[in-house]
Amino acid sequence: MDVPLYLEPRLESRLASLLRARTFLHTLAGGLGSPLNVVLPDRMAENLAAFRAVYRRHYLSGGIFFAHKANRSSALVRRLAATEAAVDVASLGELQHALGSGFVPDRVMATGPKNPEFLWLAARSGTTVNIDSPVELDELAALVRDYGLPRTRILLRLSGFCTPGVRLLTRQSRFGTAEAELDGLLKSVERHRDAVELTGVGYHLDTTSPAEKAVALEGCVKALDTCRARGFTPRAVDIGGGFGTDYLADGAQWQRYTTELTNAALGTRPPMTWRRHTYGLRNENGTLRGALALYPAHRPTAGAQYLDALLSLPAPSLGRPLATLLLENLYELHTEPGRALVDQCGVTLARVLEVRRTEATDRTEPSDRGESTDRRESTDDRADNADRAEAADRTGPGHLLVRLDANADDIGLEEHGVLVDPVLVPRAAPGGAPDAGPVTCYLAGNLCLEADMITRRAVHLPSAPHPGDLLAFANTAGYCMDFSADEAQQQPVARKVAVWQDGPADGTGREDTSWHWCLDEQYWPHVNRRRKGSA
Amino acid sequence: MRFERITDAIGNTPLVRIDPSVHGLRTIDLYAKLEMLNPFGSVKDRAAWNMVRAGLPAAAAEDRTVIELSSGNTAKALVVLAGMHGVPFKTVTNRMRIPEIKDLLLLLGAEVEELPGQTECLDPTNTDDPLTHFHQTLTEPGSAYLYTDQYYNDRNTQAHVEGTGPEILKDLDGRAPDWFIACVGTAGSSTGVARVLREHDPRVEVVGLVSHKADFVPGIRTIDEVQEVGLFDPGTYGTIASVTADEAIDGMLTLARRCGILAGPTSGAAYFGAVRHLRELDDGPAPGRDSDPDRPAGRRTAVFIVCDRIESYLGYVRQRRPELLGRPPQPNSVATLSDAEVRGAPDIDVEEARRWIEHDRPLVVDLRSPFAYTALHIAGSVNIVDELFGELVRGGLPFSKSRPVLLACPVGEQSAKYAALLARMGHPDVRSLRGGIIAWRDAGAPLIRE
Repeated sequence: MDVPLYLEPRLESRLASLLRARTFLHTLAGGLGSPLNVVLPDRMAENLAAFRAVYRRHYLSGGIFFAHKANRSSALVRRLAATEAAVDVASLGELQHALGSGFVPDRVMATGPKNPEFLWLAARSGTTVNIDSPVELDELAALVRDYGLPRTRILLRLSGFCTPGVRLLTRQSRFGTAEAELDGLLKSVERHRDAVELTGVGYHLDTTSPAEKAVALEGCVKALDTCRARGFTPRAVDIGGGFGTDYLADGAQWQRYTTELTNAALGTRPPMTWRRHTYGLRNENGTLRGALALYPAHRPTAGAQYLDALLSLPAPSLGRPLATLLLENLYELHTEPGRALVDQCGVTLARVLEVRRTEATDRTEPSDRGESTDRRESTDDRADNADRAEAADRTGPGHLLVRLDANADDIGLEEHGVLVDPVLVPRAAPGGAPDAGPVTCYLAGNLCLEADMITRRAVHLPSAPHPGDLLAFANTAGYCMDFSADEAQQQPVARKVAVWQDGPADGTGREDTSWHWCLDEQYWPHVNRRRKGSA
Repeated sequence: MRFERITDAIGNTPLVRIDPSVHGLRTIDLYAKLEMLNPFGSVKDRAAWNMVRAGLPAAAAEDRTVIELSSGNTAKALVVLAGMHGVPFKTVTNRMRIPEIKDLLLLLGAEVEELPGQTECLDPTNTDDPLTHFHQTLTEPGSAYLYTDQYYNDRNTQAHVEGTGPEILKDLDGRAPDWFIACVGTAGSSTGVARVLREHDPRVEVVGLVSHKADFVPGIRTIDEVQEVGLFDPGTYGTIASVTADEAIDGMLTLARRCGILAGPTSGAAYFGAVRHLRELDDGPAPGRDSDPDRPAGRRTAVFIVCDRIESYLGYVRQRRPELLGRPPQPNSVATLSDAEVRGAPDIDVEEARRWIEHDRPLVVDLRSPFAYTALHIAGSVNIVDELFGELVRGGLPFSKSRPVLLACPVGEQSAKYAALLARMGHPDVRSLRGGIIAWRDAGAPLIRE
C-alpha cells in the first residue's frame, strides 16, 4: 500500500499544455465562475483525421458522423463543420444546431427516436433519416407526400442479428427493426418508393465486444444484398458508434486499482470508497459476485484503433475481413463516433471551497448484506486481517474531505462509470509552502445533499489541495460535460469556453505556446485565428 | 490394459520426470503429471465425470440438458459424457477465446452460447450481470437443466482428492513432493491435490499460478477473476504468482520441443511458473525441512500439472507469436513483389477496358468473394476469390498465354499485384482494371446480377 492508488489521466500534448497553463486557467475560472467547461476544438480535427486514416488504410469511403449527443458545444460542432466530417443528430435541437453551425443537410443524419417536429425539419431540410421503426417510416412518407417534399434519403436501423454456429448473445435493444423482419420493412419501403430513397442499413450495438459487432456488420451486408435483389440500389452500411476512449495514462495503475477494489469488496483490505460503495461487486460467503459497473477506463485499443481492429476481423460466416467484405460489395462505411471523436477535447474545472479532515470511511454503517457476520469459516482469517489492516490505516494520516464548487451532475465521469484522477491546478505559484506529499481525499459537491459526491471513491492526489485551487477533470467532453448538468438548488450550470493556441488550425498542439479563449457560443473556426481574449 | 468403457480410462495418468538438463535445477527433481493423457484430452475429464455421472441416468429419463459455464476443456468432457448417455449439452460462456475449441465443441454436438460484452454506455442503475441472467434461466419455470456448477461443486475438488492426489503420492513411493505447482482455473485440481498432499505431509508448499492481469492464458484466471470462483480459497496456496501469455508459450515450447510433452499453453504456464519459482530455491532448504531426519539432504521433488494438449492452440500461438509458425515466402506469391513491380503492373482504365472486352474478349477474372460476385459483377466474368487465386498461381500460370486476361478487384490494388505477378511469370497480356469494380460502377458501366 506504499504507492497511492493513482489513476492518472491520459493527457496528450494539447490538453497537457493547457493544464500546465495555471495562470490562464485561474483567470478563466476567476472571471467565469466554477464549474467551468473548457473545450479544445482543434483537437477534434486531429481525431477526425485519425478515423479517416483508418478508412484510407482499408480503401473505404463513407461518412464519419459525429454523434452530437456527446456534447452540446457550439465551438466543437462549428469547428467540425469546417472539416469534411458529417454529424449525427438525435433531437430537433441538435438538428437545428447542426444546420446553424454550417452543416448542409447532405452531411447530417437524423437518428434515434423522433418526434413529429424533428421528423418534419429533417424531411424538409433534406437530412438523411435513419429509420428506427416501420411506424416512423410511414410517418415520414406521409409528411413527404402531404407537403410535396423531395424524396428523403433513408437508412434502416436493424437489430437482432443471428449468428452461425456458436450463438452469440447480445443485449436486447429498444431501437431498430429485427433482422428477421427485414422483409416486412422492405415491403413498406417499396410502398413508399415515391417518398423515400433507400441508401443503406445500419446498426448500433451498446457493447464493447468486437465479436458482436462483426456479426451485426456481416448481417447488414447480407441485408443490403437482399435489398439489391429487390431492386434497390443501397450504398452504405452504418455501423454506429461505440469506439470508446482510453482515459488513463497507465494501464498498470488500472490493473492495480481494480484488484484492490476487488479485495475491498471481499473485505480483505480497508474500504477505498465513501460508505463502502463497491461499484457493483459484492461478497457472497467469501466469494466475489456481481460485475464491476465501471467503464473500462484503460482501453489500449480505443477510438480509431478500435475501428481498425473491427474492420480487420473476419466476417463470422463469409470469412473475409470485414473491410474487404464492405469494399468488394462496393459499399461505403458510415461511422458515428461520439466519445472517441471528442477524446482529449475538453476539461471541467472546479474550485476548491473547503478542505477538512474526515474518517477514513463510515465504520458504523451496517453492511446491507451482512458480510461481516456471514463469512464462511475458511475466510475468517481474511476478515481478521482486514480489520487489523483497517485499524492500522485509521491511525495513519487520515483522509481529507474536499468540497468543490460544482456538483456530481456537472462532472459526469462518475455517472458514466469513468474513474480517473483530477489534476490539481494550484492558485499559488509552486515553491511556496513545503509540499507534504500525497493525500487521500473524498470529493464532495456543492449541493445540500448527502449523495452529492463528485466520485464515491477516495481520490489520491500527489499533494494536498487548498481552498482557491482548481481541480481539473480531464477528458470530459464525451458525455461527461453537459449531458446531465442541471440547475438543482439553483446552483449555476457551468459556462463553456473554447480555447486554442496560435498556429495553423490543423497543426498538432504545440507545447506551451500561449492560449486564447472565447465563450463557446462566440466561437467560429475562422474567427478564432484572430487573437482575442489571450491571457 | 483392457477397459469395458472409455470412462474407465479416466485417471491413472503417468508422472514423468523432466530431464534436469532442460530445467537446469540441480537439487530438485521436477515431475509432470500428464493429465493431458485422459481420454478426452484434459485434467477436466476427472471433474466432469465425477460431477455429472450420478445425474446422467435421471437426466436422460427426464429429458434434461446438461449445462455448464465453460470455455473449453470442461465443456469438451461434458459434451462427450452427456452424448454417450443420450443427453444434450449446452455451455454458456463469455470467455470462449480459442476458435478451435469452439468449432470442436460444435463438432461434438454442444450448443454454445456466448454472453454479451460489456456495455459501451454505462447504465449504473443496471444491476443485471451476465451471470445473474444465467442463473435466472436455470430456475425459469419449465427449464430442464442438470447444472454441474464446476466453480462451486465440491465433486470437482473431490475428483482430485480421490484420484489425482493419491496417484501422485503412490508414484512418489508414498512421499509427498516438497512443492506442488498448479494453474488456477476452477481451483478444483489444485485444491483437491493440495488437500491430499497436506494431509500426508503438512509441509508441502503449494504454488498457485494465475494469468497476468492484462493478458490471457487459456484455462487460467487472473488474480481478480479467481475471486469469483467458489472453490477458490487463498489459504490453499502458499504463493500465488502470475504468468504472462508469452511465458506460457515459452513454457509450452520447452515442453513440446525438449521434453516430448505436447501440451497446451496452460501447461506451459505451469512449467514456466514452476521453474521460475524453484530456481530461487534451488540452493536453499526445502520448505519446513531444515533438518528433516526422514530425508537425505539434497534431493527434493516438485510436481506440476500438465492439463491439456497442444493441438487446439495453433490460432492462439499464431495471434501472439506468428514467427513460430512462419514459413518462407513462396516463389510465386504477391509477397515477393517489389513496390516497383507493383507500380509497374500493366493496367487499363474503365473506358479502354470496355473496348478491350468488346474487341479482344479477354478472360475477365473477378477476385472478390463469391458473395460479392453473386451480388453484382461484370457480364461474362469468372469469379476466383483472391485467396484461391493465390493458391493457384503458386503452382504456375493457370491460363494459356494465348488468352488475354483482365483482373478485377474492388479498387484495383489486389488486381495490380496479381497482374504484376502473372507478368513476371511470363504472361504476355494480363492487365489490372484501374480503380477496380468501384471505378467501373462509378463510371456508369453495367454490373449485373444473374
